[in-house]
Amino acid sequence: MEIAVTCRNMWTAEGGFGIDASLEPAIGGGRVYSDKRLVVTRTLRPYGLHFSGEIDLANSHAVAECLRLTVTTGADLHLDVSALIFCDISGIRSFVEAAENRVGGRLMLHGLPELLQTVMRVTGWADLPKLVICRCRRAKP
Amino acid sequence: MSSAAPHVEHFRHEAFLYSGWAEFVAGTVPFIRDGVRAGEPVLVVESLEKIQMLQVALGKEAGAVLFADMANVGANPARIIPAWHEFVSRHGASGQQLRGIGEPIWKERSPDELVECQRHESLLNTAFGRGQPWWLLCPYDTEKLDGAVIEEARRSHEYVTEGGKWERSNIFRGLDASGAPFAVPLPEPLTGIVRLAFASEDLVAVRGLVSRVACSAGLARRAGELVTAVNEVATNSIRHGGGGGTLRIWQEQSGLVCEISDNGRFDQPLVDRQRPTAELSAPRGLWLANQLCDLVQIRTLAEGTVVRLHMHLTPPERHLHVLADSPASGSEGAD
Repeated sequence: MEIAVTCRNMWTAEGGFGIDASLEPAIGGGRVYSDKRLVVTRTLRPYGLHFSGEIDLANSHAVAECLRLTVTTGADLHLDVSALIFCDISGIRSFVEAAENRVGGRLMLHGLPELLQTVMRVTGWADLPKLVICRCRRAKP
Repeated sequence: MSSAAPHVEHFRHEAFLYSGWAEFVAGTVPFIRDGVRAGEPVLVVESLEKIQMLQVALGKEAGAVLFADMANVGANPARIIPAWHEFVSRHGASGQQLRGIGEPIWKERSPDELVECQRHESLLNTAFGRGQPWWLLCPYDTEKLDGAVIEEARRSHEYVTEGGKWERSNIFRGLDASGAPFAVPLPEPLTGIVRLAFASEDLVAVRGLVSRVACSAGLARRAGELVTAVNEVATNSIRHGGGGGTLRIWQEQSGLVCEISDNGRFDQPLVDRQRPTAELSAPRGLWLANQLCDLVQIRTLAEGTVVRLHMHLTPPERHLHVLADSPASGSEGAD
């Protein structure tokens, strides 16, 4: 809860990311970024972000910024990417960078679509110590 | 011409011209055996048929040799150099001498594949010519292949062996020219071209078009892979090729072709066949395209860069981990 509030404050301070404050409930969940192709929502259990839509050159910097501003103190950060329809290399790079920059906890990818698993394996990003491709949920084909 | 075995002091890229089984065996078995007896790691990338024959001819010494199926490793010829890189970096530590046999060209190769195989043979010089010493023998079947193919082999190989004798090729193009921009024009498609000019805000449209055409052509599951590859190449056009480019899609007998052209100049001949380093910013797009697509053709022309991505409708079984089939190979990846 405390962490979430901290994040919301940071979002407000940062601004410029299309954050819709009215959609963000008082508990700190809700939408943290959106554009025509991508919606990023805060999740609380587990704590992290939910991505829905497409990531490419046009918004991968925004994804990186979302991740940079989502702070956890030593705990794992969970990303639900099961509703990601498309993600290019620059988007995956944002995830990898966020994982590498984490102090303490790991970045957990949940529901990573099969094609993206292939892309991450081929590009050498499948076996990073801080970026875990979690098999907890059946990935979409 | 000499029949004495040479001492290898640099990368020795040698074309072996043979006709018929007997000549093939006479030229390859002693080469492998000499390497094994000298304690050199040996990798043979050949057709399954030839691998089986070599294993019989070598007897128990075959156990000391690594084998890989060229139909898998080299289905897309741009995946062969990474396989050799893996072999050299895994087994060639501290100047260990190595031997390899690789036959990427056979009669049934399509014209597009053949040209990319020939480019691959040239790029081997660029990839290894200034590195550690090792010896790569490339068999060419003179009975089945055109004279022009043999002629090109003499240009892409510094050494040529025929009838048990070797010589320096007097038409070898040399190390520098081997990696020079590839400007051989691509044949113009005949009909049914779908065309889309794109700029930075149009990647969604690019993906949508490729997806629709690929699905209606029957690519099914691989449509997503083609979309991913095209998106990366188009992204390169936006970032390095003047802010955008032109996408053209058409169908050929074997499958679908997506062509991305832009005003940029492609001058890193090996970038599509170098396994990405751990560096976050290392280029990955063209490497990925080569792993996902059945054939990738890159040309540096006066008006800019052209990249063609081919996806077959009936793909060969794909092996992303090229040496995984070798009996003695260890864990994946050298970098």
